[in-house]
Amino acid sequence: MRVKLKVNGGTYEREVESHKTLLRFLREDLGFTGTKEGCGAGECGACTVIMDGKTVNSCMVLAVEADGSAIETIEGQAAKGKLSAIQEAFDRHHAVQCGFCTGGMVMSVRDLLVRNPKPSVEEIKEGIEGNFCRCTGYQQIIEAVLDASGQLGAPGSTGEGLVPEGRLEHA
Amino acid sequence: MLHQFEYAGPTTRAELHELLARKGGETRLLAGGTDLLVNIRGGVIKPALVVDVKKVKDLPGLAWKEGEGLSIGPSVTINQILASAAVKERFPLLAECGHDLASYQVRNRATVIGNVVNASPCSDMAPALLCLEARALISSKRGTREVAFSEFFKGVKKTVLEADEVLERILVPSKSVGARGAYRKLKRIAGHDLGIVGVALMRKDGEVRLGISSSAPTPVLVAGLGEGDGVEKAVAAARAATSPISDLRCSKEYREFMIETFVRRLWAEVK
Repeated sequence: MRVKLKVNGGTYEREVESHKTLLRFLREDLGFTGTKEGCGAGECGACTVIMDGKTVNSCMVLAVEADGSAIETIEGQAAKGKLSAIQEAFDRHHAVQCGFCTGGMVMSVRDLLVRNPKPSVEEIKEGIEGNFCRCTGYQQIIEAVLDASGQLGAPGSTGEGLVPEGRLEHA
Repeated sequence: MLHQFEYAGPTTRAELHELLARKGGETRLLAGGTDLLVNIRGGVIKPALVVDVKKVKDLPGLAWKEGEGLSIGPSVTINQILASAAVKERFPLLAECGHDLASYQVRNRATVIGNVVNASPCSDMAPALLCLEARALISSKRGTREVAFSEFFKGVKKTVLEADEVLERILVPSKSVGARGAYRKLKRIAGHDLGIVGVALMRKDGEVRLGISSSAPTPVLVAGLGEGDGVEKAVAAARAATSPISDLRCSKEYREFMIETFVRRLWAEVK
């Protein structure tokens, strides 16, 4: 089937098999390999992209369903060689270790901050509940989100009242 | 490698019915895809044809109609329900159950109707729909029929739906507006997970109803309890209506214990 869609502002038109997922289409046909396949079942969120303004697990969307849609992936976050504010905050707070979850995680955080520019720690946890990170234990990611949303002071600071004794309370 | 299938995106209800009536090979409806595509990937189902309902223009969406109730069509997602003022004001129990379903990005795709037609024992929407006396409006090339949700589930992954039928509308009746209720779902982790046990309790006009998931081959309704009946009677009724099993998520005994615990807590909490 013929599919025409936008990815990070660029238009792509391809012939695609009807059983191919959006994830595999992005990675294999279009070369956007920043979006990862973890579980393939909607548990881990490594494949999270934004489709027509909403986060989706791209492993559970068919490429043919995305016909006519506008997709945003991790590749579209940095502009002119400069990381986005969220990416910079992830960098500052060591919110990236192996990096496998990061592409999807950043997309969920981006969507969360659009919906809720100043999320509380609880709201951050809920916003990223569909994105598993097996390295960081989430602390650094939550700190990065607080920072990216202007809720922390200087880099490395913990934000008075938000973070007891210099660390975030564990879930 | 995903199993290969044909894809159809009909734009009218008549075309949809025609495709469903087609013989030869299994046909599956696709809405959010959050169960269907996972099951295809896992080799659990191998449809010859996948029919996307989202492009059908003359099927219902999400609408509140005074005197009738809330209509939920096949493309209505869980997050649409959660964002709806009509749902929040009139059927908060439906929103509470929806909020407990999977993760944010799954709820962006997963549909209310998909959640019930899959007929998983751990359906999160079924407890609310059972309590709220929702009805399923079913259609096919042969005509339409209406079934109460208390009659809808027939077994694990089995419903009253025939192969050529589509559940085109859920109606949550206006008579259920004003019900007070709450849902408790036990999970292995604080984040998103399938339920180990889920219990909804609803009070309305002197009646107490329970909707219970993950505790029997189908989601279960306990109806007809009176306000005057004590909590012991509710616990006994819940026990009689359920038949939990042991599986990888927990033991039968733990499920029995938690059903009782949730009924007791909800009995005290829902005023």
